[in-house]
Amino acid sequence: MASNQAHRLRKRLLSVAHFLGLALAMTIILLPGLWIVISSLRPTVEIMAKPPIWIPQELSLDAYTSMFGKVGQGGIPVWSYFRNSLIISVTSTIIAIIIGMSGGYAFARFSFKGKSGLFLGFMLSRAVPGIALSLPLFIIFARIGIIDTHFGLILAYVALNVPFTIWLIDGFFRQVPKDLAEAAQIDGCTRWQAFWQVEFPLAGPGIASAGIFAFLTSWNEFALASQLTRSVNSKTLPVGLLDYTSEFTIDWRGMCALAVVMIVPALTLTFMVQKHLVSGLTSGAVKG
Amino acid sequence: MGKLRISTPTLLLLPAMIVLAAVIVLPLLLSLWSSFTPFRLTKPDTLYVFIGFRNYVTAMSDPIFWTAFGRTVFLLTVALNLEMVFGLGLALLVEKATRGQRILRTLMMFPMMFSPILVGFQFKFLFNDNVGLVNNALQSLGLTDQAIPWLIDGNLALFAIIVAEVWSSTSVFAILILAGLMAMPKEPLEAAKVDGCTPWQSFRFVTLPFIMPFAYIAMTIRSLDVARAYDIVKIMTDGGPARRTELLWTLIGRTAYSDAKMGFANSMAYISILLSIFFTFYFFRKLAASRASIAAEW
Repeated sequence: MASNQAHRLRKRLLSVAHFLGLALAMTIILLPGLWIVISSLRPTVEIMAKPPIWIPQELSLDAYTSMFGKVGQGGIPVWSYFRNSLIISVTSTIIAIIIGMSGGYAFARFSFKGKSGLFLGFMLSRAVPGIALSLPLFIIFARIGIIDTHFGLILAYVALNVPFTIWLIDGFFRQVPKDLAEAAQIDGCTRWQAFWQVEFPLAGPGIASAGIFAFLTSWNEFALASQLTRSVNSKTLPVGLLDYTSEFTIDWRGMCALAVVMIVPALTLTFMVQKHLVSGLTSGAVKG
Repeated sequence: MGKLRISTPTLLLLPAMIVLAAVIVLPLLLSLWSSFTPFRLTKPDTLYVFIGFRNYVTAMSDPIFWTAFGRTVFLLTVALNLEMVFGLGLALLVEKATRGQRILRTLMMFPMMFSPILVGFQFKFLFNDNVGLVNNALQSLGLTDQAIPWLIDGNLALFAIIVAEVWSSTSVFAILILAGLMAMPKEPLEAAKVDGCTPWQSFRFVTLPFIMPFAYIAMTIRSLDVARAYDIVKIMTDGGPARRTELLWTLIGRTAYSDAKMGFANSMAYISILLSIFFTFYFFRKLAASRASIAAEW
């Protein structure tokens, strides 16, 4: 009896500890972001107050309206940065996906000499730190005159995204059974038709998530963008955020609002693809 | 007349190879060449002066370089280990949850959506000595009555950077390890229980080997973008105060763009590229090895 009771007590204690652990972990994960959102809605006096005011007294969207109105808060043209980010990210993603699809398909469906070496080589090209790559790119881009253009940054981001896109798409095509396309070919499809009508739709969601991953990489990239852009012509949001911090008077509320503007598209897109992303990355984990 | 025949996989891989050759390999060759010259942006002619290994010798005998190098390796080692431990813990906590697991999994990915520059900004704000959440909380709780200079003191600043780095990347480990836990067959665990293993033993000898490949995938991914720390440091401290948080990458950026010593910066960049490639290659090998050991057992 006694041991039975002790066992039950222990089990309850364990589940309480488990709950507390989870709650603590989730707080640490969520609190910083939440704090940014709250701060973007509070007046600056409240952020600066000493002793601190914990419960917001008044909330307003002033920071957002002033950011997108006129030239922007403190002369920072957020709207142009936003447009640049969007154009560059979308274009480079589309190109990277097309290239990645053809490359990923080759890795998933064909065996050829030097396959694993080439795969590792592709991955290693991704290991080059952005800042190290920015030096020669800066020299070349300056020489051929594509510094501070959308084209230059798009080109750089396509190259940045291709290796990872190939990794993911290779994983997704491998999950599609080979027999399906072969069956379609026996039924009279050409290889091309079999690809578009059988394999592509099945791997479609995975490819979409690879696309979103590529989009996020471009959307978030800073090291290259900070050197290869010079003006409002091509500066992206991450570079804009750094502009903000180097102002003389730090406008915390405005920066928090800009941070929220940057995170919202990323948040929405990641929600859409989280399931596929993990399965794509781990598809080769246990079985090579 | 031999017709030039290109096999299908080569044709399919050609676009990727062309892009990578043009935007990564060629520039890297250029930077390799310029690392053997005294090239300065302000004097274009210096690109054609060959000075051998002088830049490398200068870098190797420069204490500033070695401190930055050591600090980079230290930061990576500490951060990757902490991320592994916390990621494993978080994955186990979430896997044990009986209700709301889907929501927990989504929340767990939250930091992954933050770009490094945002993570840096966020922690710059939280650790600000004047308006930051951390100091405000410590003061409200009465733990300290002074403002702790988190980003102004060298050691504290490095600590703050590690916190930011770990916060942002633990979820990469957690999510991949969780995928491993969920993919794990249940029979070996039950067999271990029947054989009288303690919970610790069955975790150590059954669960852990199975999830190691997943952990190594996380490590490989992380080692591919270790230089993310550049963005975080750039916005949080910009290598300061007085170079106390200078990493290889911030040092390279400063040498190249502020001091305009491109050739010298490129020689340091090459050393940092080799460091990154070493990390990636190392974890890739580990991944293959742990995958092989599992395949052999099951």
